[in-house]
Amino acid sequence: MKQNQFVRLNEARWQLFSQFDASDKDWVAVYPEQFRQICSDLALARSRQYSPALIERLNQLVQQGQQHLYQSNGFSLVHILKIFTQDFPRALYENSKYIVASTLAFWGLGLLAFLWVLIAPQHIYWFIDPMQVNQLESMYDPAGSVQTDSRSAGQDVMMFGYYVYNNIGIAFQMFGGGALLGVGALFPLLFNSFYFGAISAHIVNVGFEEPFFSFVIGHGSFELMAIVIAGAAGCKIGFSILNPGTLARKEAIKKSGMSVLPLICGAFVMLLIAAFVEAFWSSSDLPSIVKYIVGSLGWFWVLHRLYRGCRYGN
Amino acid sequence: MQYQGFDNLIYKRLPEGVSINLQPAGLTVRAYAYLWDFMFRALIIFIFSLVLNFLGDAGQGLMLVVFFIVSWGYYIFFEAKNGQTPGKKRYKLQVVQDNGLPPRIEQIILRNLLRPADAFPFAYALGMLVMFFGSEFKRIGDWAAGTMVIYCEQTDLQMVNQKIEPLAPGFSFSTEEQKLIIGFAERCDSLSVGRQYELANVLAKNINCRDQEAVTMLKRYAQYFMGQEV
Repeated sequence: MKQNQFVRLNEARWQLFSQFDASDKDWVAVYPEQFRQICSDLALARSRQYSPALIERLNQLVQQGQQHLYQSNGFSLVHILKIFTQDFPRALYENSKYIVASTLAFWGLGLLAFLWVLIAPQHIYWFIDPMQVNQLESMYDPAGSVQTDSRSAGQDVMMFGYYVYNNIGIAFQMFGGGALLGVGALFPLLFNSFYFGAISAHIVNVGFEEPFFSFVIGHGSFELMAIVIAGAAGCKIGFSILNPGTLARKEAIKKSGMSVLPLICGAFVMLLIAAFVEAFWSSSDLPSIVKYIVGSLGWFWVLHRLYRGCRYGN
Repeated sequence: MQYQGFDNLIYKRLPEGVSINLQPAGLTVRAYAYLWDFMFRALIIFIFSLVLNFLGDAGQGLMLVVFFIVSWGYYIFFEAKNGQTPGKKRYKLQVVQDNGLPPRIEQIILRNLLRPADAFPFAYALGMLVMFFGSEFKRIGDWAAGTMVIYCEQTDLQMVNQKIEPLAPGFSFSTEEQKLIIGFAERCDSLSVGRQYELANVLAKNINCRDQEAVTMLKRYAQYFMGQEV
């Protein structure tokens, strides 16, 4: 069959196909059939060596059909929540080795820094510059105005914004930077753990442990463990490039990327919770004992969930 | 994989039993799209900052939240709908899976969360470098998510104008040659006049005419090959 005849015979059908309307029920019912027909037209046009313009046009129609038929479901917070409750524990189970290694690295180095500065208080100035140390001291000074009841509601919201922007930003940076052979995840993880350890020891040294620990215990469970998880996720992507095993590197990175995605979604939700707690609960003027009790319960719950996730995947 | 000429089309086999070609988008057009998106993002942040400025400390906090959402969520939000951000839409680009299907939400999130790696150490330098390894122009995020960016509308070739009187050539052309002539006739309108003549004059000796006359002659042959009744 010559090309022009082929076009004349099918032109009307192609026209109709390109004007797809999802709201028309009858149309939707016959759409897959129409799509397969167009696919066969394209195959025919190819094998009959019709002109590039015609092949191009049919090619476009097929692509258009694919867009409608294989459409994705779009983006919703419900979806994120589903990932958090279902896929997240499973991903913890699948990547439990990385989670454990990351946890040990984070807490191990943090403890090291803590003990170091506790034994040799002046060494804090080796790691952190005096300006910053002063600032931190004033933040947790019981006589000061930063973490006390003199803070207004507006400032609470401001700090919430800051925690969202800064902490979740760090977690995402770690995840993305992990693709740089793991360095981008490992370095911030270790840096933050050392920093955190050194600071806590210094706060103990100057005697502000009461306001400090009552402040951090509430949100620390969510925040610190989320950072650990984000670090583990980033590291896995990086290491899969370094050591792809039997897979090609491009397949290895694809596989590891998909397997750690629920981890970063989980860390995101945890950090969101942490930001709420940090901005509105940790800074409130409740007695320390209440904060300690609630904070401990939070720690227990988070660790329990993470343990169950890593161990059983639920 | 089928014919791989010096155009950069990729052929993908579909479950429907036919293969389609996709044209991956290169560095320049994606950089333009990025700049447009960058402007849109700046605009969104600017508008919010005008409003939130009146809210004092709380406004500052909300501003940071907006800043966070726009800088991380902008791409995810738009690409999750149909693989197009406003910038990509402007240049008719689209994110698709490796097999040409619309991307899944997981892939969109992954490809956009890996932007820090592509942006390392500045201005997407590493991402640009990685794009040169492979014919699909994938940055690191694309590699990990199994996606690529393609032109969703390829260059629109004009079908041969039906009003041209077909003419049977006095001698025979092979199928390949016929396809070349049809291809020429279809692309003719997108070429400059000088270029049209230059190409048509390649056959000047065989068809015994030059320039405008040769172009018309080839168009009439093309019409004949495509099956217009004489």
